[in-house]
Amino acid sequence: MGLSKAPLPMVGGGSPRILGVGTPAFLTSSVDFLVNWARRNSMWPMPFGTACCGIEMMAAYASDYDLARFGMERMSFSPRQADVLICAGRVPYKLAPVLRRIWDQMTQPKWCISMGACASTGGVFDVYSMVQGIDTIVPVDVYIPGCPPRPEALIYALMMLQDKIRQESLAQHDILRAEDPSAVAQPRANDEEVAALSGPFGNSTQQNRVSGLVQSDAVDRPDDRIS
Amino acid sequence: MAVKKSSFDSVAAGPAPSADAPDASRPATASTPAHPSVDALRGRFADAVLHHEVVGGDEHVVFVTPERSLEVLTFLKDDPGQRYDLLRDVTAVDYGGGRPLQVVYQLFSLTFRRALRMKCELPLNALEIDSAFWLWRSANWLEREVFDLFGITFRNHPDLRRILMPEDYAEGHPLRKDFPLRGRFSRAEQTRRALSQELGHYYIQQEIDMGGEPQSLPPSMKELEARPEETAAG
Repeated sequence: MGLSKAPLPMVGGGSPRILGVGTPAFLTSSVDFLVNWARRNSMWPMPFGTACCGIEMMAAYASDYDLARFGMERMSFSPRQADVLICAGRVPYKLAPVLRRIWDQMTQPKWCISMGACASTGGVFDVYSMVQGIDTIVPVDVYIPGCPPRPEALIYALMMLQDKIRQESLAQHDILRAEDPSAVAQPRANDEEVAALSGPFGNSTQQNRVSGLVQSDAVDRPDDRIS
Repeated sequence: MAVKKSSFDSVAAGPAPSADAPDASRPATASTPAHPSVDALRGRFADAVLHHEVVGGDEHVVFVTPERSLEVLTFLKDDPGQRYDLLRDVTAVDYGGGRPLQVVYQLFSLTFRRALRMKCELPLNALEIDSAFWLWRSANWLEREVFDLFGITFRNHPDLRRILMPEDYAEGHPLRKDFPLRGRFSRAEQTRRALSQELGHYYIQQEIDMGGEPQSLPPSMKELEARPEETAAG
């Protein structure tokens, strides 16, 4: 923000222009409060419902749970006018470029919620066709566990996101709102991260007892494996 | 050999008729009830009908040599005594262990309210069979699905492309028993390949038109536009 040219303590690995945490100027803190208040109370969700989690997401918008209480009554079916991408449901690899494209099209500031076990980790779909967690494709702010999560869980996640926005500062703008044009349509995670993210959750290869990675007193019946 | 005590044994063993080689002389068991269409088939295509069995109480299955499957299907559809005018499903089964793949046709006659299941066994080194598209239009996508997931080629199919998996999918045919559950590539490679799909592979032309001129029109789009509508000549 260029408010002070004096050398300041760095946020880990940040650029020298970033104000240090703990030394907020009066102006930034006041403007921060106003901006964050406006942002967190008018988050427009971009629904990306692909499965049963999408049904729970619809329930959260409907009258019983009434997401509009938190300033999210306007569903944005265009990524250009959306702030929060809610990915609700499993994402197959064939759909991955669509999700990434929608995320690339959303304007800053933007956040992402990964709703449900499948969107967060691949869930039970530890198979050839399924993205093992959308955090390999796009950056995720809040993960919601559950299969599917109840509407209260989605509301809680949005409130957590509001909390996160409340702690943002314009001084960290360069970090929080960083956009890398060369990263468009690229996986968010590198190869090692993808392997780490998709590895421990599977139940077919890494977690079963044949792999030797888990202890189990289950009776081993190799004959049940059809070659 | 030790006696297995697994409830999966019957699954691993597969159905009894397909376990041994197709045998034209295999007689129907005495207890097999008659099915009018099978009787007609036996009279007309004596050398093509391999086997007839009844499963699940009243579901008649007839095994036919794949070379003459189209003839048999044409007869079943067009013969005034058969009139199987509804092709409910085309699918395939892989029982693993090097056994032949079975192509399954689920037929139903609205006229006579009669169902018949026809199976053709294809050895793994000759996965080719005639397309039923020219008899029933519903076979179009069903056969594409079988091609996509099992790798069975349907001769004379008008548009034999992958339908469920991405068009540039390079890992094989997922529903085959020799296909590893998580695919052949690493997760990182799969993610990378998924995100580098061509635009035309996951959006249809109308959607691309709606968005105006895309910044990067892939070379395959022109080809896609030039492709004629899927129409049947017959």
